Amino acid sequence: MLLEVRDLRKVFKGGFVAVDGVSFDLPYGGSLAVVGESGSGKTTCARIVTGLEKATSGTVLVDRGAVQMVFQDPYQSLDRRQTVASCLDEVLAHHTDLPKVKRRSRMGELLELVGLDERHAPVLPRALSGGQRQRVAIARALAANPRLLVLDEAVAALDVSIQAQILNLLVDARAATGIAYLFITHDLSVVRHVCEDVVVMSRGRVVESGKVEQVLSEPAHAYTRKLIASVPRPGWVPARGVSRAG
Amino acid sequence: MTLLGLDGLRVEIGGRVILREVTLAVAAGEAVGLVGESGSGKSMTVRSVLRMLPAGSRVTGSITVGGLDVNRLDSAGLRRMRSRDVAMVFQDPRATVNPVRTIGDFLTEVLRDQGISRVEANRRAVALLTDVGVDHVERRMHQRPHELSGGLLQRVVIAAALATEPKLILADEPTTALDVTTQEEVVAILHEQRRKRGTALLFISHDLELAAAVCDRIAVMYAGEIVEILPANRLHEDARHPYTQALLRSRPGAVNPGSRLETIPGTPQSAADAPAGCVFADRCPHAADHCREVRPVLSPVDSGLAACHLLPNGVPHVA
Repeated sequence: MLLEVRDLRKVFKGGFVAVDGVSFDLPYGGSLAVVGESGSGKTTCARIVTGLEKATSGTVLVDRGAVQMVFQDPYQSLDRRQTVASCLDEVLAHHTDLPKVKRRSRMGELLELVGLDERHAPVLPRALSGGQRQRVAIARALAANPRLLVLDEAVAALDVSIQAQILNLLVDARAATGIAYLFITHDLSVVRHVCEDVVVMSRGRVVESGKVEQVLSEPAHAYTRKLIASVPRPGWVPARGVSRAG
Repeated sequence: MTLLGLDGLRVEIGGRVILREVTLAVAAGEAVGLVGESGSGKSMTVRSVLRMLPAGSRVTGSITVGGLDVNRLDSAGLRRMRSRDVAMVFQDPRATVNPVRTIGDFLTEVLRDQGISRVEANRRAVALLTDVGVDHVERRMHQRPHELSGGLLQRVVIAAALATEPKLILADEPTTALDVTTQEEVVAILHEQRRKRGTALLFISHDLELAAAVCDRIAVMYAGEIVEILPANRLHEDARHPYTQALLRSRPGAVNPGSRLETIPGTPQSAADAPAGCVFADRCPHAADHCREVRPVLSPVDSGLAACHLLPNGVPHVA
């Protein structure tokens, strides 16, 4: 396994239990979705896997140097005073031992992989569209040759036509490099499109997990069923359930 | 009968075109979904209705609400329209509700302003909160916004929007900030309550399926223009404009898992950047030369209207 997460538990200051006994595996080259709503603990899990957060207890087995992360908002995750070229070169210089000339050609390959080109190299993030910025963030993550890419709602803020471009790009990059994805998302149609396995989280716990096809077509847990039923689709009629306390 | 009429609405801000030409009619009691990607002008269209555009905006064309020309209203008329006839629900309820006042204060303020007694205003506020599915109503009336979840607070905002019995509700991405299960409840409540009261709705969304579920008609915007209007229940069958078709096909879930999603080449354009003819011509897979030069007008195709030179025969059906 590329990633083994066992009995992960995270208690924040004040005693709030964000993650409560979560376990999952991700094979080399696999694509796993962690699905849930706000407060489910999915982002905390992702941040523990990438080392941005420390677990209270439990284990994460992964080669840390092989993990990269892409966030929801590329404008916040990119340095707004750094050009695309400098951003990518910095990562290549740090994570590879390529000489400067080779780094230049590798940068060209990375830009091409994410659907950008040399014209974007000398540009600052503010001159790029939201979709282009997310491509740069993905290129930067791929520059480190990771085995695992953690994507935290990485396509959630994008317009649907741009989201489609990025999802195609992620499918292509995985086919080309054998990279594995840990997809943190609330969007089940994205899960269906790019993931093989899924973990459904609610209030810090895993309520259901399995193959995407299986879980989405025959959900076993009531929460999974509710989640699937609330996705707008052709012929969908929104239902007003029993009111719950907020 | 037309309640909201936009006719040739054009908005420029600081000389930059934001809306090119928006023509749309919403009948009394009707729900219309205004859908499109960011920068297409959806929000600017609804803001024009309430004259909430940024300073320095130049508006041409006409906007009427209940037959009154919005751009000619004096300040008293505008105030009356904003406080009684037309209500607005924004994306972020926390930016709408005063954080230091109670939910009860927020809901009764506008009623008290209309001369309704404190007791009666309270009674109505409690009834409204019950209607929108808020629990422990008496306690909620004394709570402040930070004590309520986003979903619950958005219900409070909807209750406030219904309070003055408006003829029209403008809702700008009212559930985008909410979780998907909460979204379902909130749109169900909005849908149910506006139908019960016969209130018209202009529902802004980037989500075609969501808009189709709660609206009678769908108007698709691109680069400051409406490119297609059609019945919501015919969205998938009758969408004929190449942009609407591309939007429907680029959703993951529209195709089999693992196969490629259809993409629209390039990036969404603003009204200022789009070509002089058809706004979608630069990105359209079917565009011909005259598409870039001559503006198409909304014309009847199948069950709706579409602005495309190539219709009715030049663009294949999706299905």
